[in-house]
Amino acid sequence: MLGADFRHDREIRRYPILVYALIPLAALVLQAWLPRVLGPYALFDLPLVITVYFALGRRSPIQGTIMGVVMGIFEDALSHHAIGVNGIAKTMVGFIAASVGVRIDVENHTIRLILNFLLSLLSSAIYVFTYRVLLGMDLEWRWFAELFRAIGNSLIAMVLFPLLDRLEIRD
Amino acid sequence: MESFFTRYRNILVLLAILLAQIVGLAVQVRRTGDGRSTLAPQDGPGVRLIRLWAQDLVAPPEWVIHSAKLGTIGLWQNYLDLRHVREQNQDLQKTVDRLHLEQASLLEDARQGQRLQTLLGFQQKYIYTTLPAQAIGSSGSDQSRVFYLDKGSNDGLKPDMAVITADGIVGKVRDVFPRTAQVLMINDQTSGAGVILETTRTRGILRGNAIGRLQIVGIMADQRIQPGEKVFTAGGDLIFPRGLPVGVVDKVVRDPDSDSFIDVVVKPYAHLDRLDEVLVITSIEPRFSPEMQQDLATSEELKGAEAEAIKQQQKASQIMSERLPGLTDPKAPTANPAAAQPGQAQGQQATPAVPAQPQAPRLMPALHPDRYSPKAAQPTSESKPESRPEPKPELKPGQQTAPHAARPALTKPAVTKPAKASPEQTEKRRNP
Repeated sequence: MLGADFRHDREIRRYPILVYALIPLAALVLQAWLPRVLGPYALFDLPLVITVYFALGRRSPIQGTIMGVVMGIFEDALSHHAIGVNGIAKTMVGFIAASVGVRIDVENHTIRLILNFLLSLLSSAIYVFTYRVLLGMDLEWRWFAELFRAIGNSLIAMVLFPLLDRLEIRD
Repeated sequence: MESFFTRYRNILVLLAILLAQIVGLAVQVRRTGDGRSTLAPQDGPGVRLIRLWAQDLVAPPEWVIHSAKLGTIGLWQNYLDLRHVREQNQDLQKTVDRLHLEQASLLEDARQGQRLQTLLGFQQKYIYTTLPAQAIGSSGSDQSRVFYLDKGSNDGLKPDMAVITADGIVGKVRDVFPRTAQVLMINDQTSGAGVILETTRTRGILRGNAIGRLQIVGIMADQRIQPGEKVFTAGGDLIFPRGLPVGVVDKVVRDPDSDSFIDVVVKPYAHLDRLDEVLVITSIEPRFSPEMQQDLATSEELKGAEAEAIKQQQKASQIMSERLPGLTDPKAPTANPAAAQPGQAQGQQATPAVPAQPQAPRLMPALHPDRYSPKAAQPTSESKPESRPEPKPELKPGQQTAPHAARPALTKPAVTKPAKASPEQTEKRRNP
C-alpha cells in the first residue's frame, strides 16, 4: 500500500502556477478565435483537451472536476446557451479522466489518443443528453461532426501533450 | 462520519458540483405555453455576471490577437500596394469622381423616396445611422453561432440592433457589455428574420440549421420559387429594416416534417464564416451627414450646369435649323390660327367652334425646279399652243412618271401629247 501511494505521489505532475492559469486561458481564447479563421474546419475542442490533460496529469478527481467545471462554464458563458450544459459535460470528463489516470499508464501515446477520442464522444453525449433530456429543448445534432471533432481532439492531444509535458516541474 | 466524507470525498464533490449546475440550469430555463422549454429571453443577473467575467477575461487577448493579425496583414498589404500605386491612384480618383456623382444622384433619389414614403405613411427609411465594428471572437462552438464585437454599450450599442455588412445582413446584437457585444448570427438555430423573395413576393422566416445553413422554413410548396431568386429582409421583425439584401435561393427542398411545405435553402451574400468588419444599425432615423449634404449641393450644381449646356445645345440647333433649308414653309399659315393667337381665340368664344381640319404641310418651292417639281407642269386649262411646255419623252411600257408630276388630262389627250424628244435632250436629262 505504501508502495502504491509512493508511486501515485511520484507520478503526479506538478506545474508552475502560471501554467495552470495561462494554458486554460489560452485554450479558451484560441477556441474563441480560431473558428473565425478556420471556419467550418475548426473541428476541435481545446478546453476539453486541456481538461483531459490536467486531469490525467494531476490524477486527482477533484482537481479534474474543478478544471472541467471552470472550462465548461467559461465555454457556456461565451455562447448564448444556458450556462452549465458544457459545464456538466466537462465536469464528468474531468472526473472520469482523473479517475482513469490513477489506474492506467497515461504516458503511453496510444492510450492518450484513445482516451481523448472516447472522452470527446462522452462529452458530446452528455451535452446532448443535458440539452434534450434534462432541459427538454430542441437541438439539431450531427454525430458525424462530433466524430470528426473527437478525431481532431485526439490528433491535437498527440501533438500538444508532449509539449505541455515540457512545462512540468521536475525534481 | 468523518471517514464517510473522506472515503467518498471525490464522488461527493462531483455530485455537489453537478447538482449546483443542474439547479443553475433550471433557473435559466422556463416553460412556454405549449409545454416546451426555452431559455429566458433575458439573462438573470447571476448569469449575466458570469458572461461578463468570461468576456472580460477572453476579450482582451482576442483583441490583441486580432490587432496583431490585422497589423501583419496591413503591413504586408501596404508593401504590396506601394507597387503600381500611381496608376491605381489615378484610376481610383476617376472612380471616386464617378461614384461621387452617382452617390449624389442616389442621394437625390433617396431624399425623394423619403418624401414619397412620408406622403404614403410608411415607416421604413432609406438611410440609417450605422456604427462600424470589428469582429474579435466567437463562441468557439458550432452549436452557438455567435461572435463578439469590439464595441459595446459605451459606444451606444443596444440589444436587438441589426448587424450588417456591405454585402448583406449578418445577425442581431443579442447581449451588450460595456466594451463588447455579442451578436447572434442569422444562421444560428435560434435565430430568426423575416424575409421576402424578390420575384414571387413570398414571405417567410429565415433561420439556420445544425450545420449553419440558412433556410426559409414553413413555406407552402410553390413551383415558382427557383434557385437564383434574390432574398431581402421583409422588415416585419422590427430588427432588420426592410429591403436589406440577404442572399439568393440556392435550392428548394421538401420539408421533412410535412409534404405540403418546403424549405428554401439560401446562400447568404455576407461571408458569415469570415467576418472582420461589420456595421451595426444604431438608428433607422433618416439623417444626412455633412458629406451627404455637400454631395447634394454638388449634385444640384452639376444639374444646373448640365441644364445650361442642354439649353445652349438647343439654341445652337435652332440657329442651324433656321439657316439650313427645310421642307416646311415658315411663311405658311399655321394649322390652328386660334392657337397661335390666344387673345383672339378668347375673344371669339361666342362663335361656334368649328372642328379644325387637319391640314397637310405645304411644301416649299424648289430652288432649282425641274419637270418633277410640284406645279412645274401647267394645268391643261392654261396651256396654250404658243406656251406649250417642253415636250416630254414618250413613256415606255412599265415606266412611271414622278408622283408629283401633273398627269395629262384624260379628256384632252391631244393637247398634252408630248412631242418626240431629240437624242441630245434625252442624254442631257439622263445626265443633268
